[in-house]
Amino acid sequence: MPADNAAMAVRPIVYTIRGCDSCVKLLSKFEAEHVEFEERRVELSQTVLEEARRYGSLVPIVVWPDGRVQQGFGDSIGCFI
Amino acid sequence: MQAITSVVNAARFAQGLNYADFVAQATVNQDKFIANGATVPLSEEDASFFRKAAAHPRGPFKILALAEAWCGDVYRELPTAARIAEVAGMELRVFLRDQNLDIMDQFLSNDGKSRAIPVFVFYTKDFEYLTHWTERSASAHAGLAVTMKEAKAKLNLPQSATFGTLPDADRQALLTEVIARVRPFGDQWRRDAIQEVRQLLANALSIPNAG
Repeated sequence: MPADNAAMAVRPIVYTIRGCDSCVKLLSKFEAEHVEFEERRVELSQTVLEEARRYGSLVPIVVWPDGRVQQGFGDSIGCFI
Repeated sequence: MQAITSVVNAARFAQGLNYADFVAQATVNQDKFIANGATVPLSEEDASFFRKAAAHPRGPFKILALAEAWCGDVYRELPTAARIAEVAGMELRVFLRDQNLDIMDQFLSNDGKSRAIPVFVFYTKDFEYLTHWTERSASAHAGLAVTMKEAKAKLNLPQSATFGTLPDADRQALLTEVIARVRPFGDQWRRDAIQEVRQLLANALSIPNAG
């Protein structure tokens, strides 16, 4: 298992694209609720994009420390990656 | 024809990236652009139509594309615009959406609420606006809506449910089901997009939609 594997993290890892409305809304919610998270921006790196695709097809993707994976946020479907 | 007073003139248009440079600067999905560029479903009859449109006295001479390389709709459809420009002798320039919001905000969708991409804007040689196409085909939007209904039925979810109101487990199950169902339709959506662009140009130029 890679050292950066999200399942080993102590904080949720959030895969985002900063131009994605759903991603921005999710980050705002986390910040308002003082949820500590690690953001990984998929638009900046093919490696991070491929990492995100292991978990889903739509950002935002949240990988919780217990392994649960959530795709999308709010009332829209999210952004296909 | 819809009247749009464009912020785009010759000098601004020249600042856009040509397609090769856009792909080269992309930090992600270069493989998708290359693969989709090799399989653009443009028939010879389609190409003939676009050549005829370009030869019209007020025909499309320039295509402005708003795009970002991370977007799935962009890497599905932008290679098609590049191919249309190539076969019809039009000039394509690509503008990164998030660095060109003044242009983007002239072409909002979803009742002015969404900066959906890609957008392909067709101009005459003198930068007279002709028409534009956004995001994905009407068949794709309709297919998504139908798929959503079918997936809700399969999962025994109320048809009135929205992503925002569903419990998370149901929401994730619905997304997974919808994604699996729409994935096979990408090529059809690409073909339908070409037909939509043809019809938009035919309407703008008052010419038959025939190759």
